[in-house]
This record gives sequence, C-alpha cells and structure tokens, in this order.
Amino acid sequence: MEDYKGKIRLVVKHYPYKYRDFSHIAAEASLAALDQGKFCEMHEYLLEKSPRLDRNSLIRYSGDVGLDIKKFTGSLDSMKHLKIIERDKKLAVDMDLYNTPTFFINGRKVVGNRPYEVFKKIVEEELK
Amino acid sequence: MMGRDRFISKVSFPQAKRVGNPSLNKKRFRTSRNDIQSNLHMNYLEKAKLFCFFLLLGVFIMPFSSHAFHLESLKPVAAPKDNPQTPEKIELGKKLFFDRRLSGDGTMSCVTCHDPETGYTDQLAISLSYPTTKNWRNSPSLINAAYNTSLFWDGRAQSLEKQALFPMMSAFEMNQNLDFLEEELKSVPEYVESFRKIFGGEITREKIAMALASFQRTIVSKNAPVDKFLDGDTNSLTPEQNRGYEIFTGKGKCVQCHSGANFTDSKFYNLGVPENPALLNDPRVTATMRFTAKVSGYKDYRTLTEDPGRYLVTKNKKDWKAFKTPGLREIALTGPYMHNGVFETLDEVIEFFNKGGGEDKNRSPLLEPLNLTHEEKQTLKVFLTEALKGEVTVVKTPEVP
Repeated sequence: MEDYKGKIRLVVKHYPYKYRDFSHIAAEASLAALDQGKFCEMHEYLLEKSPRLDRNSLIRYSGDVGLDIKKFTGSLDSMKHLKIIERDKKLAVDMDLYNTPTFFINGRKVVGNRPYEVFKKIVEEELK
Repeated sequence: MMGRDRFISKVSFPQAKRVGNPSLNKKRFRTSRNDIQSNLHMNYLEKAKLFCFFLLLGVFIMPFSSHAFHLESLKPVAAPKDNPQTPEKIELGKKLFFDRRLSGDGTMSCVTCHDPETGYTDQLAISLSYPTTKNWRNSPSLINAAYNTSLFWDGRAQSLEKQALFPMMSAFEMNQNLDFLEEELKSVPEYVESFRKIFGGEITREKIAMALASFQRTIVSKNAPVDKFLDGDTNSLTPEQNRGYEIFTGKGKCVQCHSGANFTDSKFYNLGVPENPALLNDPRVTATMRFTAKVSGYKDYRTLTEDPGRYLVTKNKKDWKAFKTPGLREIALTGPYMHNGVFETLDEVIEFFNKGGGEDKNRSPLLEPLNLTHEEKQTLKVFLTEALKGEVTVVKTPEVP
C-alpha cells in the first residue's frame, strides 16, 4: 500500500473460517479496532498472535495497540459487527469463494498467500 | 527421414553419438575383428594390448549406454484396460474434480491447487494447503500427467487411479475421510445415478478415483511445434527454436533426463536443489515434512531438516533427496519450478543446471557445469517456452450437483 500510495485502494472483507474457534471473534475484534481508527494495526497484530485469539487475549491485544479497552470490550461482547461479518460471508459464498485469503485486483482473482512480487506485477499491469 | 532416426542423426551431444548411431559403431568393430582374424601370427603381447583396448573401450561405452535417450512426438493418451475412457465417465470425473465435497471442510477441490486457468497448478512455490495447515512441496501441473508412469514428486503412485485418493486423504491437502466421502456422495441423487450408469453398483472410492483419472486423461497439451519437428517437418521450428533444440539435445544435456514424448524419463535424481527456506523457517511447513516422514516410516523424523524425496518411498539411500524428472511441455505456464518451487523463473533453473546443479554429497553424477553462454541460455529458453507450447485442453467449470 505504501509503494502505491494514492494509486490503489484496499477493501477488506471478512471470511472467518468456520472450523476455527476464534476466527469469528477475531473478525469482531478487528472491526472494533476500526471504530477507533486502528484496523490495520489490530489486523496485523492478530495475524502475528494467531492462533492465540481467545477473548481475554484479544482484550489484552487491544491495550497493546493503544485502544480504549472498555469500548473495545463492549463492542466485542455485544457482537456489534455481526451483521457486517455475516454480510461478507454471504458475499463470499455467493461468489463461490472458499479459500482465504482470496484477492481481487481490479477483478483479477488471486488465491492464497503470494510473494510481494506477484502482487506488484499485477498492480503494475493494472495501473498501466 | 522420420522422427527418432532423424533426431539421432541431428544430435551433437557426444555421448548420444556413441549410443545413437549403432551402425557406425558396429562398422568400426567389424573392421577391427577382420583385422584380428587376418593377423593370426600376432604375438601374445599384441593380443594382450588389443584385449586391454577393447576392455577400456567397453568401460567407456557402458556408462553412456545406460543413458541412451530418445525424443518423439506425442501420441494419443492410452487408458488402462480396466478403466476405458467414456464421455460420461469423463464428465463425471470433471464434476468431481471441481467438487469441494472432496475436502474435509468443503473449502477445497482439486481445482484449488490444479487450476485450469493457471496451467493446472496454483502458481505457488509451495502449494496451497488445507486451512490452518501448510503444504511442503510444489503443486505439479496436471498437463499431460496422463503420460506419466509415476505420479507425485516422489513417484509414490504409478497410475492416475492410484494417485487420485492421496491428496483427499492427506491431512495438509484435502483432509477428507474416504468413508465419509462415499456416504456424502451417496446422498447426492445425481451422483448415485451417474455412478450406477457408468460403473454399475454403488459409489466407492475406487470408482471415484477411476472417474477422476478418466477426466485427467483429457488434460493434455498437444500439437506443439516440436511434435511436427520430431515427425520430420524441419520448418516447424523457427531458427532460434532450432538452435535451442540443438542446445537442449547437445551442449545443454537436458535430454539426458528430459526425453521421450513427454520430455521426461520418469526417473528420480538428486540435483542438489536448495531447500525452500520455509521448510525450516515456517513451523507448520516443518511439521508437514516431519509428519510425512513419520507416516512413511522414517524413524528419525523428529530431527529431519531436509526433504528426503524418493527415499521416503523406497528407503533406498541412493534415493535420498531424489525427485522425479518433470515433463517439460507447457513449462512456461507451470512455474515456480522444482519440487519445492525454489526457482521462480526458467532463467534461474537454466542457470542452476549451467552451474552443474546444487551442493549435495549425493548429487547425481550426470550433472556438471555446462558453460553455456548468455545467448545459448536465452536460446534454450526460447525452445522450452515456444517449441514445447501446444494446444492445452480448455476446461470450463461444470455444474456440480
């Protein structure tokens, strides 16, 4: 994103894995962080800390990334963003997507973690 | 002059000349025998010298003979007698190929790692894996897999029928229980009817494998420029491709192993390919390596730090880190390369071989520095990417029941 500042936009959709205990609550946590303007920080932190993503750990992490813990915990416990997550899940199913992560770069589908160079090549092509 | 004969006469690889033109060698030997017969008065010392000469000649020729090679154009795929091709079976196999029921959590189908849109691979160094796990090897392309006499990088299956169930059962690939899969498919009326019509009887894992194999036998690349060339049409290659062919069969020595109609000898070699750093840097990849070694009966699996390759199948020391020679058709589509995808581009692969392979004490003796010039390497790449590019089967996503 830094390499293409102002040229590209990243839209994140949530697709918590159905057989993982904490993937759904982790999606909630990232959206609770978004409310406080720290989605990316939390998202990165959760990837680093995975799979230790139980409720108590998430609350601890919220403090680590500098969030208002009380607000964060309230959001998490009330599942404030459930509708958004369910909407995203439905979108994935409707698009016949089952693998995470899946990327669409100007409509070009890329499945799975790939080296930076792969994304760079596609982005360069799409920016032409 | 046709195909193979013409090929032999064109080869500039010195080892090939010795093996490839037996009539010349025979003539030379015949002349020598006549000489011996006409010199009956030859003394013992001379006879002993001659004996040593032939003994040495034999020693030199023997290793070359064991690496005789040939190239030929692609012939139609042959199906086994007990699993003949039928349109209905192929269609059923195609549906199964795209069906996520084949994976334990319903998120993966065969297409996940063998995508028709990307050369029937996933274009990753290390293949995609079952969610929360990591794979440890590269996903081989399925293009022309129908011609292979051994499947997987370590050759643990000898037919597409025997290959098909492995990824489904693998904990880090599709992670499916086959008893469960049979029941799951039996709950789909369309499948029940298709299996009954095609095979007779109920759905079994063996029939699932047979249908998948039938479909995979349709995934071919044919009518590449090299096919016409090998059939005698000398104009089918451009001058640059032709020069690349000369390097392929000559100075580059590629044809030592990349021979036959599918450009593979189906044998296994230790090339000293560097390990993918993820093998030890990513604990989940390490876990997959050690798990595979464990279930293969390798007792020191806990301390394993490299991919043992074919050894896990044969338990023969000579197979340590040996991997199957891959076919080269459509090679431009199927990167990253090698069993662990450690080379992103063909340039890297060619440079690797140009240096005589990698560092390993059990490296194949066939490898030695090639001293190819920059231009020769580029020309070889042109041959590989253009002359081996044919018409690849186009598969459209079927309607999965």
